[in-house]
Amino acid sequence: MPAVSTPGAAPARASRLNTRVLVAGLAVVVPLLAVLVLNLGRDPHSVRSPLVGRPAPAFSLAPVGGGAPVGLDSLRGRPVVINFWATWCVPCFEEHAALAAAARTFREVQFLGVVYEDDEAATQAFLRERGGAYPSLVDPEGKAAIAYGVFGVPETFFIDGSGRIIDKYVGPLDRGTIATLIARAKGGAP
Amino acid sequence: MRRFGFALIGLLALASIAAPQNAPAPAAPGSPIGPPKGPPLSGPALDAGTDDVAALLRCPVCQGLSVADSPATMARNMKIQVREKLAAGYDQEQILADFERSYGEFVRLKPPMRGVNWLVWLGPVGGLLAGGAAVAWALKRSSAGAGPAETAVRASAASTASDWPSRETLPDDPRLAAAVRRVRKLAYGWPDGIPPKGLSSAP
Repeated sequence: MPAVSTPGAAPARASRLNTRVLVAGLAVVVPLLAVLVLNLGRDPHSVRSPLVGRPAPAFSLAPVGGGAPVGLDSLRGRPVVINFWATWCVPCFEEHAALAAAARTFREVQFLGVVYEDDEAATQAFLRERGGAYPSLVDPEGKAAIAYGVFGVPETFFIDGSGRIIDKYVGPLDRGTIATLIARAKGGAP
Repeated sequence: MRRFGFALIGLLALASIAAPQNAPAPAAPGSPIGPPKGPPLSGPALDAGTDDVAALLRCPVCQGLSVADSPATMARNMKIQVREKLAAGYDQEQILADFERSYGEFVRLKPPMRGVNWLVWLGPVGGLLAGGAAVAWALKRSSAGAGPAETAVRASAASTASDWPSRETLPDDPRLAAAVRRVRKLAYGWPDGIPPKGLSSAP
Protein backbone atom coordinates (compact mmCIF):
# COMPACT_ATOMS: atom_id res chain seq x y z
CA MET A 1 0.00 0.00 0.00
CA PRO A 2 2.41 2.73 -1.05
CA ALA A 3 -0.45 5.07 -1.92
CA VAL A 4 -1.27 7.72 0.66
CA SER A 5 2.03 8.86 2.13
CA THR A 6 2.79 11.96 0.09
CA PRO A 7 0.44 14.71 1.34
CA GLY A 8 2.55 14.66 4.53
CA ALA A 9 4.70 17.62 3.41
CA ALA A 10 1.89 20.18 3.68
CA PRO A 11 0.73 19.32 7.24
CA ALA A 12 4.34 19.38 8.44
CA ARG A 13 4.69 22.90 7.08
CA ALA A 14 1.41 23.96 8.64
CA SER A 15 2.35 22.66 12.06
CA ARG A 16 5.65 24.53 11.91
CA LEU A 17 3.73 27.74 11.15
CA ASN A 18 1.36 27.04 14.02
CA THR A 19 4.27 26.70 16.41
CA ARG A 20 5.55 30.10 15.37
CA VAL A 21 2.12 31.67 15.77
CA LEU A 22 1.80 29.98 19.14
CA VAL A 23 5.17 31.27 20.35
CA ALA A 24 4.35 34.77 19.12
CA GLY A 25 0.96 34.68 20.81
CA LEU A 26 2.45 33.44 24.06
CA ALA A 27 5.09 36.18 23.94
CA VAL A 28 2.27 38.72 24.00
CA VAL A 29 -0.23 36.98 26.25
CA VAL A 30 2.00 35.58 28.99
CA PRO A 31 3.46 38.94 30.13
CA LEU A 32 -0.01 40.48 30.10
CA LEU A 33 -1.38 37.61 32.17
CA ALA A 34 1.55 37.97 34.55
CA VAL A 35 0.72 41.65 35.00
CA LEU A 36 -2.91 40.80 35.67
CA VAL A 37 -2.17 37.98 38.10
CA LEU A 38 0.41 39.99 40.04
CA ASN A 39 -1.54 43.23 40.18
CA LEU A 40 -5.24 42.37 40.18
CA GLY A 41 -5.38 41.96 43.94
CA ARG A 42 -3.68 45.27 44.54
CA ASP A 43 -5.56 48.29 45.77
CA PRO A 44 -4.96 51.01 43.18
CA HIS A 45 -4.68 53.49 46.04
CA SER A 46 -2.05 51.61 48.01
CA VAL A 47 0.90 53.50 46.63
CA ARG A 48 4.03 53.03 48.69
CA SER A 49 4.91 56.33 50.27
CA PRO A 50 8.14 57.82 48.94
CA LEU A 51 8.48 59.53 52.34
CA VAL A 52 9.28 56.35 54.27
CA GLY A 53 12.95 56.53 55.19
CA ARG A 54 13.08 60.26 54.51
CA PRO A 55 12.95 63.22 56.93
CA ALA A 56 9.40 63.99 57.98
CA PRO A 57 8.09 67.22 56.40
CA ALA A 58 8.20 70.06 58.91
CA PHE A 59 5.01 71.79 60.05
CA SER A 60 3.83 74.15 62.73
CA LEU A 61 0.11 73.88 63.40
CA ALA A 62 -2.21 75.24 66.07
CA PRO A 63 -4.11 72.76 68.24
CA VAL A 64 -7.87 72.41 67.99
CA GLY A 65 -9.47 75.04 70.23
CA GLY A 66 -6.46 77.34 70.04
CA GLY A 67 -3.10 77.53 71.79
CA ALA A 68 0.56 77.74 70.89
CA PRO A 69 1.41 76.09 67.53
CA VAL A 70 3.08 72.70 67.74
CA GLY A 71 6.08 72.24 65.46
CA LEU A 72 7.71 68.96 64.55
CA ASP A 73 11.17 70.48 65.01
CA SER A 74 10.51 71.05 68.73
CA LEU A 75 9.90 67.31 69.18
CA ARG A 76 13.32 66.11 67.99
CA GLY A 77 14.90 63.42 70.11
CA ARG A 78 11.73 61.45 70.82
CA PRO A 79 9.61 59.26 68.57
CA VAL A 80 6.48 60.92 67.17
CA VAL A 81 3.25 59.33 65.98
CA ILE A 82 1.20 61.55 63.64
CA ASN A 83 -2.35 60.40 63.01
CA PHE A 84 -4.39 62.06 60.24
CA TRP A 85 -8.06 61.75 61.09
CA ALA A 86 -11.51 63.31 60.79
CA THR A 87 -14.81 63.10 62.67
CA TRP A 88 -16.60 62.00 59.50
CA CYS A 89 -14.31 58.98 59.20
CA VAL A 90 -15.79 55.83 60.75
CA PRO A 91 -12.53 53.82 60.99
CA CYS A 92 -11.05 56.81 62.85
CA PHE A 93 -13.62 56.23 65.64
CA GLU A 94 -12.46 52.64 65.87
CA GLU A 95 -8.81 53.46 66.25
CA HIS A 96 -9.29 56.50 68.49
CA ALA A 97 -9.50 54.44 71.68
CA ALA A 98 -6.43 52.38 70.72
CA LEU A 99 -4.40 55.51 69.98
CA ALA A 100 -5.50 57.21 73.21
CA ALA A 101 -4.58 54.11 75.22
CA ALA A 102 -1.21 53.88 73.48
CA ALA A 103 -0.54 57.58 74.18
CA ARG A 104 -1.08 56.88 77.88
CA THR A 105 1.10 53.74 77.80
CA PHE A 106 4.01 55.07 75.74
CA ARG A 107 4.74 58.30 77.62
CA GLU A 108 8.08 58.70 75.86
CA VAL A 109 6.37 58.91 72.50
CA GLN A 110 4.68 62.13 71.35
CA PHE A 111 1.30 61.45 69.76
CA LEU A 112 -0.23 64.09 67.50
CA GLY A 113 -3.51 64.15 65.63
CA VAL A 114 -3.87 66.20 62.46
CA VAL A 115 -7.45 66.97 61.52
CA TYR A 116 -8.09 66.26 57.85
CA GLU A 117 -10.73 68.22 55.95
CA ASP A 118 -13.00 68.74 58.92
CA ASP A 119 -14.83 71.42 60.78
CA GLU A 120 -13.09 72.67 63.94
CA ALA A 121 -16.34 72.82 65.93
CA ALA A 122 -17.19 69.20 65.05
CA THR A 123 -13.66 68.18 66.03
CA GLN A 124 -13.92 69.92 69.40
CA ALA A 125 -17.25 68.24 70.09
CA PHE A 126 -15.79 64.84 69.18
CA LEU A 127 -12.80 65.31 71.48
CA ARG A 128 -15.00 66.54 74.36
CA GLU A 129 -17.20 63.50 74.00
CA ARG A 130 -14.55 60.82 73.56
CA GLY A 131 -11.63 62.42 75.31
CA GLY A 132 -8.31 63.32 73.77
CA ALA A 133 -5.11 61.96 75.23
CA TYR A 134 -2.89 64.05 72.95
CA PRO A 135 -3.12 67.27 70.94
CA SER A 136 -5.01 67.34 67.67
CA LEU A 137 -3.85 70.03 65.25
CA VAL A 138 -5.82 72.06 62.73
CA ASP A 139 -4.45 71.82 59.19
CA PRO A 140 -5.71 74.80 57.21
CA GLU A 141 -5.89 74.16 53.46
CA GLY A 142 -4.57 70.65 54.10
CA LYS A 143 -0.94 71.74 53.84
CA ALA A 144 0.38 69.11 56.23
CA ALA A 145 -1.80 66.41 54.65
CA ILE A 146 -0.42 67.20 51.20
CA ALA A 147 3.16 67.42 52.47
CA TYR A 148 2.74 63.95 54.00
CA GLY A 149 1.16 62.57 50.85
CA VAL A 150 -2.10 61.66 52.57
CA PHE A 151 -4.64 59.91 50.33
CA GLY A 152 -7.40 59.60 52.90
CA VAL A 153 -8.01 59.04 56.60
CA PRO A 154 -6.96 57.38 58.76
CA GLU A 155 -3.27 57.40 57.90
CA THR A 156 -0.60 57.30 60.56
CA PHE A 157 3.10 58.11 60.38
CA PHE A 158 5.71 56.76 62.79
CA ILE A 159 8.73 59.04 63.11
CA ASP A 160 11.96 58.26 64.96
CA GLY A 161 13.90 60.57 67.27
CA SER A 162 15.97 61.95 64.42
CA GLY A 163 12.83 63.08 62.56
CA ARG A 164 12.89 60.33 59.94
CA ILE A 165 9.68 58.61 58.86
CA ILE A 166 10.01 54.92 59.72
CA ASP A 167 6.54 53.70 58.76
CA LYS A 168 3.30 54.83 57.22
CA TYR A 169 0.18 52.91 58.18
CA VAL A 170 -3.00 53.22 56.12
CA GLY A 171 -6.28 52.29 57.81
CA PRO A 172 -7.42 51.88 61.41
CA LEU A 173 -4.73 50.86 63.89
CA ASP A 174 -5.11 48.41 66.74
CA ARG A 175 -3.05 48.38 69.94
CA GLY A 176 -0.80 45.55 68.83
CA THR A 177 0.12 47.24 65.56
CA ILE A 178 0.74 50.54 67.33
CA ALA A 179 3.13 48.83 69.78
CA THR A 180 5.00 47.08 66.96
CA LEU A 181 5.41 50.22 64.90
CA ILE A 182 6.45 52.29 67.93
CA ALA A 183 9.11 49.69 68.69
CA ARG A 184 10.43 50.14 65.16
CA ALA A 185 10.41 53.92 65.47
CA LYS A 186 12.34 53.61 68.74
CA GLY A 187 14.82 51.23 67.16
CA GLY A 188 15.66 53.88 64.60
CA ALA A 189 16.27 56.55 67.26
CA PRO A 190 19.83 57.77 67.69
CA MET B 1 12.34 43.00 13.81
CA ARG B 2 9.24 41.18 14.99
CA ARG B 3 11.22 39.50 17.71
CA PHE B 4 12.34 42.94 18.78
CA GLY B 5 8.71 43.99 18.97
CA PHE B 6 7.76 41.06 21.16
CA ALA B 7 10.76 41.61 23.35
CA LEU B 8 9.68 45.21 23.77
CA ILE B 9 6.14 44.22 24.71
CA GLY B 10 7.48 41.70 27.20
CA LEU B 11 9.83 44.27 28.70
CA LEU B 12 6.98 46.76 28.97
CA ALA B 13 4.85 44.27 30.80
CA LEU B 14 7.69 43.38 33.14
CA ALA B 15 8.38 47.04 33.78
CA SER B 16 4.78 47.58 34.78
CA ILE B 17 5.12 44.74 37.29
CA ALA B 18 8.41 45.90 38.65
CA ALA B 19 7.83 49.62 38.89
CA PRO B 20 4.82 50.39 41.06
CA GLN B 21 5.48 54.10 41.22
CA ASN B 22 8.27 53.80 43.73
CA ALA B 23 11.09 54.84 41.48
CA PRO B 24 13.35 57.06 43.54
CA ALA B 25 12.28 60.66 43.20
CA PRO B 26 15.14 63.06 42.64
CA ALA B 27 14.78 64.83 45.95
CA ALA B 28 17.04 65.86 48.79
CA PRO B 29 16.26 66.99 52.32
CA GLY B 30 16.37 70.63 53.27
CA SER B 31 15.15 72.84 50.47
CA PRO B 32 14.32 70.09 48.01
CA ILE B 33 13.19 72.09 45.06
CA GLY B 34 15.78 74.84 45.44
CA PRO B 35 15.35 78.52 44.77
CA PRO B 36 12.61 79.67 42.38
CA LYS B 37 13.77 79.21 38.81
CA GLY B 38 11.20 81.35 37.03
CA PRO B 39 9.73 84.80 37.30
CA PRO B 40 6.93 85.30 39.86
CA LEU B 41 3.60 85.13 38.05
CA SER B 42 0.57 87.31 38.62
CA GLY B 43 -2.74 88.19 36.99
CA PRO B 44 -3.92 86.19 33.95
CA ALA B 45 -0.51 84.50 33.57
CA LEU B 46 -0.88 83.14 37.11
CA ASP B 47 -4.40 81.86 36.39
CA ALA B 48 -3.29 80.17 33.17
CA GLY B 49 -0.15 78.75 34.80
CA THR B 50 -2.18 77.34 37.72
CA ASP B 51 -4.53 75.55 35.31
CA ASP B 52 -1.60 74.19 33.28
CA VAL B 53 0.22 72.73 36.29
CA ALA B 54 -3.01 71.47 37.91
CA ALA B 55 -3.81 69.58 34.69
CA LEU B 56 -0.51 67.68 35.08
CA LEU B 57 -1.22 66.64 38.68
CA ARG B 58 -3.28 63.59 39.61
CA CYS B 59 -5.88 64.21 42.29
CA PRO B 60 -4.87 61.68 44.99
CA VAL B 61 -8.39 61.11 46.31
CA CYS B 62 -10.08 60.73 42.90
CA GLN B 63 -10.17 58.00 40.27
CA GLY B 64 -8.07 59.15 37.34
CA LEU B 65 -8.92 62.85 37.59
CA SER B 66 -6.48 65.71 37.39
CA VAL B 67 -6.33 68.34 40.10
CA ALA B 68 -7.64 70.82 37.53
CA ASP B 69 -10.75 68.70 36.82
CA SER B 70 -11.57 67.55 40.33
CA PRO B 71 -13.99 69.31 42.69
CA ALA B 72 -12.53 67.49 45.75
CA THR B 73 -11.28 69.53 48.70
CA MET B 74 -7.86 67.91 48.40
CA ALA B 75 -7.63 68.97 44.75
CA ARG B 76 -8.73 72.50 45.65
CA ASN B 77 -6.03 72.65 48.34
CA MET B 78 -3.40 71.39 45.92
CA LYS B 79 -4.47 74.02 43.42
CA ILE B 80 -4.04 76.71 46.09
CA GLN B 81 -0.49 75.46 46.69
CA VAL B 82 0.27 75.43 42.95
CA ARG B 83 -0.93 79.01 42.72
CA GLU B 84 1.16 80.12 45.71
CA LYS B 85 4.28 78.48 44.32
CA LEU B 86 3.83 79.97 40.85
CA ALA B 87 3.30 83.38 42.45
CA ALA B 88 6.57 82.84 44.32
CA GLY B 89 8.38 82.13 41.05
CA TYR B 90 8.75 78.34 41.14
CA ASP B 91 8.51 76.79 37.70
CA GLN B 92 6.28 73.91 36.60
CA GLU B 93 8.92 71.20 37.02
CA GLN B 94 9.84 72.40 40.52
CA ILE B 95 6.20 72.31 41.61
CA LEU B 96 5.63 68.83 40.15
CA ALA B 97 8.82 67.61 41.85
CA ASP B 98 7.59 69.02 45.15
CA PHE B 99 4.30 67.09 45.00
CA GLU B 100 6.20 64.05 43.83
CA ARG B 101 8.22 64.07 47.07
CA SER B 102 4.99 63.49 49.00
CA TYR B 103 2.96 61.30 46.67
CA GLY B 104 5.57 59.67 44.47
CA GLU B 105 5.56 59.56 40.71
CA PHE B 106 1.89 58.54 40.96
CA VAL B 107 0.97 62.22 41.29
CA ARG B 108 2.25 63.05 37.82
CA LEU B 109 -0.32 62.43 35.12
CA LYS B 110 2.44 62.55 32.52
CA PRO B 111 5.24 60.14 33.45
CA PRO B 112 8.61 61.90 33.32
CA MET B 113 11.01 60.66 30.64
CA ARG B 114 13.44 58.69 32.77
CA GLY B 115 14.31 55.10 33.65
CA VAL B 116 11.68 52.49 32.82
CA ASN B 117 9.28 55.26 31.82
CA TRP B 118 11.11 55.40 28.51
CA LEU B 119 9.35 52.13 27.71
CA VAL B 120 5.99 53.83 28.17
CA TRP B 121 7.00 56.60 25.81
CA LEU B 122 8.86 54.53 23.21
CA GLY B 123 6.93 51.24 23.53
CA PRO B 124 3.93 52.27 21.37
CA VAL B 125 6.19 53.78 18.70
CA GLY B 126 8.40 50.69 18.74
CA GLY B 127 5.36 48.41 18.60
CA LEU B 128 3.96 50.36 15.66
CA LEU B 129 7.26 50.16 13.80
CA ALA B 130 7.60 46.44 14.51
CA GLY B 131 4.01 45.79 13.46
CA GLY B 132 4.46 47.86 10.30
CA ALA B 133 7.62 45.98 9.45
CA ALA B 134 5.84 42.65 10.00
CA VAL B 135 2.94 43.69 7.74
CA ALA B 136 5.34 44.98 5.06
CA TRP B 137 7.28 41.72 5.20
CA ALA B 138 4.10 39.63 4.89
CA LEU B 139 2.83 41.74 1.96
CA LYS B 140 6.15 41.53 0.18
CA ARG B 141 6.21 37.78 0.59
CA SER B 142 2.70 37.25 -0.77
CA SER B 143 3.18 39.66 -3.71
CA ALA B 144 6.38 37.84 -4.71
CA GLY B 145 4.01 35.01 -5.81
CA ALA B 146 5.94 31.83 -5.24
CA GLY B 147 6.53 32.35 -1.57
CA PRO B 148 8.06 29.43 0.27
CA ALA B 149 4.71 28.15 1.52
CA GLU B 150 3.14 28.22 -1.93
CA THR B 151 6.14 26.47 -3.48
CA ALA B 152 5.81 23.77 -0.88
CA VAL B 153 2.14 23.22 -1.69
CA ARG B 154 2.86 23.01 -5.43
CA ALA B 155 5.71 20.61 -4.88
CA SER B 156 3.55 18.36 -2.79
CA ALA B 157 0.79 18.43 -5.43
CA ALA B 158 3.29 17.44 -8.10
CA SER B 159 4.70 14.65 -6.03
CA THR B 160 1.18 13.47 -5.29
CA ALA B 161 0.52 13.17 -9.01
CA SER B 162 3.71 11.29 -9.79
CA ASP B 163 3.75 9.01 -6.76
CA TRP B 164 0.11 8.00 -7.04
CA PRO B 165 -0.26 4.55 -8.58
CA SER B 166 -1.66 4.70 -12.07
CA ARG B 167 -5.12 3.41 -12.90
CA GLU B 168 -3.74 0.21 -14.42
CA THR B 169 -1.79 -1.07 -11.43
CA LEU B 170 -3.40 -3.44 -9.01
CA PRO B 171 -2.59 -4.25 -5.40
CA ASP B 172 -0.77 -7.51 -4.75
CA ASP B 173 -3.48 -8.85 -2.47
CA PRO B 174 -5.80 -10.87 -4.80
CA ARG B 175 -8.99 -10.11 -2.81
CA LEU B 176 -8.20 -6.41 -2.75
CA ALA B 177 -7.28 -6.51 -6.45
CA ALA B 178 -10.67 -8.04 -7.25
CA ALA B 179 -12.42 -5.32 -5.28
CA VAL B 180 -10.41 -2.62 -7.08
CA ARG B 181 -11.38 -4.11 -10.44
CA ARG B 182 -15.05 -4.10 -9.45
CA VAL B 183 -14.79 -0.44 -8.49
CA ARG B 184 -13.01 0.40 -11.76
CA LYS B 185 -15.71 -1.43 -13.72
CA LEU B 186 -18.38 0.64 -11.97
CA ALA B 187 -16.45 3.91 -12.13
CA TYR B 188 -14.95 3.78 -15.59
CA GLY B 189 -17.15 1.23 -17.36
CA TRP B 190 -14.15 -1.02 -18.11
CA PRO B 191 -15.19 -4.64 -18.68
CA ASP B 192 -14.03 -6.63 -15.60
CA GLY B 193 -12.24 -3.49 -14.46
CA ILE B 194 -9.43 -4.04 -16.95
CA PRO B 195 -8.42 -0.91 -18.83
CA PRO B 196 -8.84 -1.02 -22.59
CA LYS B 197 -5.62 -1.24 -24.63
CA GLY B 198 -4.03 2.04 -25.67
CA LEU B 199 -5.15 4.01 -22.60
CA SER B 200 -2.43 6.32 -21.44
CA SER B 201 -1.29 5.86 -17.90
CA ALA B 202 -2.22 9.39 -17.01
CA PRO B 203 -5.06 9.42 -14.51
